[in-house]
Amino acid sequence: MSGIATGGTIFALLMVLLAIRVPIGIAMFVMGSAGYVFLTGLEITPLLNVLKTVAYARLSNYDLVVIPLFLLMGQFATNGGLSAALFRFVSAFLGHLKGGVAMAAIGACAGFGAICGSSLATAATMGHVTLPELKRRGYSGALSTGALAAGGTLGIMIPPSVPLVIYAILTQESIGKLFVAAVIPGIIAMVGYMIVVRIVVTLNPSAGPAGPRVGWGERMKALLTVAPVLAVFAVVIIGIYGGWANPTEAAAIGAAACGVLAIVTGGMRMKGLIDSALGTAQATAMIFLVLLGADMLNTALALSQMPVELAAWVQGSGLSPMLVMIVILLIYVLLGCVMDSLAMILLTIPIFYPIVVGLEFHGMTQTDKSIWFGILALMVVEIGLVHPPVGLNVYIINRLAGDVPLSETFKGVMPFLASDFIRIALLLIFPVICLFLVGTGG
Amino acid sequence: MQETIPGVPAAKARVFGPFGRALLAASRAAAIFGGIIFVLLVFMSIVSIVGRKLAASPVPGDVELLQMCSAVAAAMFFAYCHLNGGDVKVDFFTAKLSPKLVNLLDAFGSLLFGIVGALLTWRTTLGALQVMRSEETSMILGIPQWIAQMLMVPGFALFALAGFYMVTYHWHKRLETAGVSA
Repeated sequence: MSGIATGGTIFALLMVLLAIRVPIGIAMFVMGSAGYVFLTGLEITPLLNVLKTVAYARLSNYDLVVIPLFLLMGQFATNGGLSAALFRFVSAFLGHLKGGVAMAAIGACAGFGAICGSSLATAATMGHVTLPELKRRGYSGALSTGALAAGGTLGIMIPPSVPLVIYAILTQESIGKLFVAAVIPGIIAMVGYMIVVRIVVTLNPSAGPAGPRVGWGERMKALLTVAPVLAVFAVVIIGIYGGWANPTEAAAIGAAACGVLAIVTGGMRMKGLIDSALGTAQATAMIFLVLLGADMLNTALALSQMPVELAAWVQGSGLSPMLVMIVILLIYVLLGCVMDSLAMILLTIPIFYPIVVGLEFHGMTQTDKSIWFGILALMVVEIGLVHPPVGLNVYIINRLAGDVPLSETFKGVMPFLASDFIRIALLLIFPVICLFLVGTGG
Repeated sequence: MQETIPGVPAAKARVFGPFGRALLAASRAAAIFGGIIFVLLVFMSIVSIVGRKLAASPVPGDVELLQMCSAVAAAMFFAYCHLNGGDVKVDFFTAKLSPKLVNLLDAFGSLLFGIVGALLTWRTTLGALQVMRSEETSMILGIPQWIAQMLMVPGFALFALAGFYMVTYHWHKRLETAGVSA
């Protein structure tokens, strides 16, 4: 059997297991193990030997520790009530504009995203804080829920970002560089969403009425309460950027700072601490199980030579690289209809990555290409959270809002989705957007 | 389907029998224990970073301690996640099936979960014993490597138990939902 045929069979069977609700990590683990046995001549001993060390080798990976630490940081931020302070702050500056409170909600999502690496947590936490206020100010259901569902994706687009860590580990790219590369695209995403709000309220002024202007005294007071949050983000990103802390250390500093903040200003006590531990446990287990499964699957795929053969085939096919990239991105959009973003990254990067680095894009170096693809993949998998049919963010916000029909929320999210596609196209054409800060040219 | 979302009501609480409740309590305790290990690791890292920057004296062996402890702590998390229904799965294709069928499928998923857990328990134990015989130690502190690997085993055993328990849970649930119209 050729590598592509073997790998393809493993993949097809994997898809069957996934379709019948087998947990993704377990399905990958089972198919990886089965494929491994098949490829080692139907001997079970090699597999049993691999299994002796696979768990410890994976779970004791130094880079991987970043994930639970960032999750812990996000949990502290969530349980410590930092979200309300952020919203008050942005709201003080933007609330008097038409649609300003919705913009503030987006800005606050971005701020929260800077200390939390999860979109769902960002959407849920900020939705909790901002939806009542949006309703009180008379914002339309479609605009408020759409803005928040889209704003939630900033949780992952603005570093720290768990999918980027996973991408870095899979491709042996630097976590720090990827985080830094994500900063400008993340800010563009935030500004893009705010512009969408502006357009929506210009077309339909009743969707987002302007509020009263807030005085500078009030604004400064709000700034004081969020200053610690900004400081945490600055320490984490600048620490990584400046090279005086590696990502694991930066995550530890961030987690400690958020923990202290949560206790001092957010009134977090024993219960909050235990909730944070349990939340971290649940999210970590969810991610690590998929990682363990991906480890086994990738071992089998590598043995089958499928990724190499496929990459060679694409290279030799004479297809235009841009076309290949667009097809890859479309596959992500389709997969996003049924799959979680992390699972998508873990499942596809081992196959797509060799293809992408084997092609010529804008005359970029290998490192530039791999950073650029990482950010592109991140943006595309994220939109799976807001587009139908699954769009988890949409469901969460809709459930939180309570009285907005789901169709309204999906309608409300559409203009934001359009801004996502524009941003992705921009990044596709101008890689310098993400490479500029990394300083590797572009 | 995803991590716990603060403020969003979780899916209906699961009703467990006495064994299930004991298992859940044990898994919850393990998860909290693992979480606290991470909090302690955060402290250690801070002390180490400050020590290195200010006094050029980091905590000796901080990296290897971090690696060993986080592996042990992470292994503690899996059972809790599964009992809580926190696995990532694709529910798009089965959304329209009857609850009875969904429970059957979930029983199958949990069975595979249990088998993977049992495999990991068995193989990690043997792997740890092998490392013990080879007397490998960590580079700086000289901690025997096998200890960390062996400490993962209880977590994996809970992992396996959680899977097998959920098989029986979904199996019974299937009958329940068959009786009551869904």
